[in-house]
Amino acid sequence: MNEITKLIEESVSSLFVQYANSDADEIMESGGFPAKFWDEFSNGGWNSIALTEDDGGAGMGLAGGYILMRLSGYHAVPLPIVESIICTYLLARAGLPLTTGFTALAVVDSAFQADGVRFVPRIPWARHASGLLVVMPGETNARVAFVDRSKWSVKERANMAGEPRDDVTLTSDAFEEVHELSGVCIERVFSWLALGRAAQMTGALSKTLERTVDYANERKQFGKLIGKFQALQQYISVQAENTNAAQCAVDTAVIHLDTPQEWECIAAAKISAGESAGNVCRIAHAVHAAIGFTREHPLQMSTRRLWAWRDEYGNEARWATKLGDLCLELESGHLWSWLTEQTNR
Amino acid sequence: MNFEPVTLSEKDKDLREEVRSFLIEHKCFLTNSSAIDPWFACVPEFSRLLGAKGWIGMTFPKQYGGAERSYLERYVVIEELLAAGAPVGAHWFADRQIGPLLLRFGTEEQKNHFLPQIIRGECFFSIGMSEPDSGSDLASIRTKGQRVKGGWEINGQKTWTSFAQNSRYMVLLCKTAAKSEDRHEGMSQFIIDLESEGITRRPIQNLAGEEHFYEVFFENVFVPEDRLLGSEGNGWNQVMAELAFERSGPERFLSNFQLLDEAVDVMRSSISRESTKQVIGQLVARLMVLRQMSLSVACQLQSGALPVTEATIVKDLGTSFEQEMADCLRMHLLVEPGEDAAERIGQLLSGSILKSPSFSLRGGTREILRGILAKGLGLR
Repeated sequence: MNEITKLIEESVSSLFVQYANSDADEIMESGGFPAKFWDEFSNGGWNSIALTEDDGGAGMGLAGGYILMRLSGYHAVPLPIVESIICTYLLARAGLPLTTGFTALAVVDSAFQADGVRFVPRIPWARHASGLLVVMPGETNARVAFVDRSKWSVKERANMAGEPRDDVTLTSDAFEEVHELSGVCIERVFSWLALGRAAQMTGALSKTLERTVDYANERKQFGKLIGKFQALQQYISVQAENTNAAQCAVDTAVIHLDTPQEWECIAAAKISAGESAGNVCRIAHAVHAAIGFTREHPLQMSTRRLWAWRDEYGNEARWATKLGDLCLELESGHLWSWLTEQTNR
Repeated sequence: MNFEPVTLSEKDKDLREEVRSFLIEHKCFLTNSSAIDPWFACVPEFSRLLGAKGWIGMTFPKQYGGAERSYLERYVVIEELLAAGAPVGAHWFADRQIGPLLLRFGTEEQKNHFLPQIIRGECFFSIGMSEPDSGSDLASIRTKGQRVKGGWEINGQKTWTSFAQNSRYMVLLCKTAAKSEDRHEGMSQFIIDLESEGITRRPIQNLAGEEHFYEVFFENVFVPEDRLLGSEGNGWNQVMAELAFERSGPERFLSNFQLLDEAVDVMRSSISRESTKQVIGQLVARLMVLRQMSLSVACQLQSGALPVTEATIVKDLGTSFEQEMADCLRMHLLVEPGEDAAERIGQLLSGSILKSPSFSLRGGTREILRGILAKGLGLR
């Protein structure tokens, strides 16, 4: 890890530690917005981290953004970190003015335009947004339109973790101007969001592992620490394996951004994070037993998110089908050479 | 824990192409019998060909005939060989762990004597660790080495010794001192000439019907003083030092890559192709991640670190992948597995299923590995 990365991690972590607690989570779950937390995050310029230095960013590209996204998962931050960082990046890339408030992000498919359907389900944090960036498919590049808050209505919904995932309906005159995202197709935007969730998941997986090891080292039954029982040691080792695999997969995808292997590595990352999430939550809850099955215990702040996130921006099946399709399209006998190309740069 | 991802360079690509050309040229060695578990397929002639190419002991110092190439370069070569199902078993243990062991603990005479032969692909080694009553509990071994004039005398029995018939030598772990407080003390390693007087080798058929492992009996076997490996009593530490090399390599998840490759070929032309995409995608994603984790460990070994915990993770996840592969694929392949199946895919499935129990046993069982990890996590 280089110096600048370390500095970023340290300052963002201290911000997250200060504000991401069960009170903030409670505000979110009851439909509110932790506004002070958001202001601190946004005023610190953190949602611009992926922008070039000329645009006011850290010049680290999306890779810098993924550091923050991982930390937001680790600290169970009740704010739209992934969406705001990627949305800001897209606004800049499309040459649109940056917003001070939170702009929600909707990636829509071709049905949205063709049929004039103006309903978009499950948009993260839409109820608290001051604007909406709609990303639509184009001939090759994706197209984007910024939609003013007066042009859409919201039906409030939530994912399993209680994070806002609202249904949005746009008015027929919602789009004033449509811009092109040069060099970015719609699938790419979707995959960046998928990697954002996967990065958050690796954070939540690490936190869950820490909690589980700590608990096993403090809880006693039958006169000894439960972590001394072989059965539990074996479980927790598997949990650690899954946690490390997902982390490596996400790190790999991040260093392959802007390479020909970008989406393949992201697919592997989202699949790995999703599979690990299932295994890890099962084990963590087994170890924590009944105490972890309460809203009061902080374990659920990570595990409910993990369960929800594995299905957002494409679950394991969605990405595996896409990857499998590519493998079946390869010429006979080329599976191995394709695999080895995935570590090129 | 550290699994920093790795990307390979242009130079590595050239080496990879060279291995691929070599494999095309020597296609006749890539048979069905080596396709599953290629590192347990013993073909000395093939090993000599690899030796001539400089692909055995690649990382060893030049003064012993090595090429001083990097661990990543070695990685590229061995993963190409394994993925193609090439029979690399004869020299496998000598290349992977005996060479590095000799380099670390051997005397100058031992290095000069053995390393050049290993590098040429002419000197094969077996590993003498397990005994009938000592499997996972390696420290409980009973084979004894006793000091005699001019050397040592060995008595006892080893088992599950792969290729004891094809290997000229064995690195044997045995007790050389009476019981002490610390059960890891008092063990030593010896280089045994398996053609010595007093040694009997008896093959054991495995459940796939092969005879690559052996029982080896030692009756008053004389070992000259200069064939003690490392220092007397340091055997346990020496064995543990091999583990990071032994557990993290691509052989821990590529033992049956040929099955996946063939399955994709079969599915490509199948009418139920749509339904197979997902299972292929899931397996391939796992493979991509495992390969990246394993490369990361290779890189750490190169920099002089000994990432034992990371290696343990690679082995446990990798062998689980190998074991589950046939189970994942069989539901999507309309074929009954069998050694005599009409189609190659049926034969590979059969080999993969029958050999799969050993994947997670050799080199430390799953339960032992997870125990090591638990220790690393602060639970033990």
